[in-house]
Amino acid sequence: MTGHSDDGARDADDGVIHAARILIVDDLDSSRLLIAQLLKSAGFHNLHFAEDGASALASLSEALPDMVVLDIVMPGMDGFEVCRRIRRDFHRDMPVLMQTGMQDADYRLHAFEAGASDIVSKPIDAGELVSRVRLHLERRRLMSNLQVYRHRMEEDLRVAQAMQHSLLMTEADVEAIVAPRRASLSTFYRASNTLGGDLWQVFPVDATRFGLFMVDLSGHGVSAAINAFRVHMLAGRMSDLGSRPDAWMRTLNLMLVDMLPVEQFATAFYGLVDIPARSLKYAAAGAPPPLHFSAEGNWTALDGSGVLLGCNARAEYPVRECPLGEGDRLFVYSDALYENFDNPDASLEADALADAVRTVLPHTGNFADNLLSRLFGAPDAPLHDDLTWMLMEVQA
Amino acid sequence: MDFKAQTEADAVIVTLNGVLTFDDHETFRGVVTAIVDANVSTAILDLSGLTMIDSAGIGMLLLANDRATKQDKTLRLRGVTGHVAKVVELSRLEQLIPID
Repeated sequence: MTGHSDDGARDADDGVIHAARILIVDDLDSSRLLIAQLLKSAGFHNLHFAEDGASALASLSEALPDMVVLDIVMPGMDGFEVCRRIRRDFHRDMPVLMQTGMQDADYRLHAFEAGASDIVSKPIDAGELVSRVRLHLERRRLMSNLQVYRHRMEEDLRVAQAMQHSLLMTEADVEAIVAPRRASLSTFYRASNTLGGDLWQVFPVDATRFGLFMVDLSGHGVSAAINAFRVHMLAGRMSDLGSRPDAWMRTLNLMLVDMLPVEQFATAFYGLVDIPARSLKYAAAGAPPPLHFSAEGNWTALDGSGVLLGCNARAEYPVRECPLGEGDRLFVYSDALYENFDNPDASLEADALADAVRTVLPHTGNFADNLLSRLFGAPDAPLHDDLTWMLMEVQA
Repeated sequence: MDFKAQTEADAVIVTLNGVLTFDDHETFRGVVTAIVDANVSTAILDLSGLTMIDSAGIGMLLLANDRATKQDKTLRLRGVTGHVAKVVELSRLEQLIPID
């Protein structure tokens, strides 16, 4: 029985359209009367009049109509000039319907060049006039509905983006966890698309150890962001597994198997940092190879491979280990840092990326800007994918 | 990405060319249809003509595998090289879809 509601909506639309403010500009009393009569009998009742260009512009200054029906040949300012001024001074998109008695193609071309939305020929044909007025008002109404909808969506996305940023820990929160455990940590996050599917977190494990977590949900936009919210919530409940990277990753995988549809998955890294024991123990699921930089300046690409999360409930994530000495650094990042889909040949190999990171490492104050400039040409270069990284340094 | 499907003996072989990314969702539907409609027990995705794949592309392979499995068909990947091989290796895709 949807017919009723459709009819109801149509009636409401008709009501709005019939109440549209229409300005009729014509120097002949008889023409103004004729047009008004035709529009009135079609239901339009908010009609206003001007008898020349100057009074038309004065009327526009007082109240903007929803539509103008404009004669071309008038003493003083002609319809072309009035139309040009409407476009220049009042409204780019307001429907302006020009009436022309000349069938000459040049004349019609002039009307469109002056900014007319459409033309009706004189002598006025009742059906043509009414259907064109209706068409343009309906179109205008659809456009403004779309604009309202679009503004609302943009506002929603802005709110969601703010929420997503508020998921990420503040520098002070991070500092409070890592500094007493003899490390420093800087992080970076930027979504390519208002909302993204990347997330990083830091967890205290005990008095000397902490966990580093980074996840990249496949896809972009709203669905990836919602999944990131859910992962954030799930990870927060897994603190008792923080000292066992394999169990941590296996548990997250099981939850994602239930949560994600078949074509979605996540890649992730979870590392247990134990500085007194000079060790990093980690588990990975398809994470780009984390880079380890020794204090002496050597680097190693760690093994980030592992079954994608959310695809197979039986997947295992073995613990891997890497020595961590004083002054060593660990760089964990998402694939947007080295993959370039616009220019596949420009995608970086691990050694080129390691080289870039090592070059900018000494300038830790401006690390993010320097690395972005080096890899993408500018600190604010547009990204094709969400970009996240964590840079940890072992304090002396 | 574009693709070509042909049936040989008891297998449908779908050959993919170009890059497989987020923009290929529509096209990839045709790949899934070719696998689902073929009256054979084995489907082979030949990726030797693919130069690059992103996470959405991996998702499409997982989807094709899911559809095939639900019909008791076996999906296999072959011709995995270059960038695709790197992604496949990193994500241990062979534990999800058999690779020749």
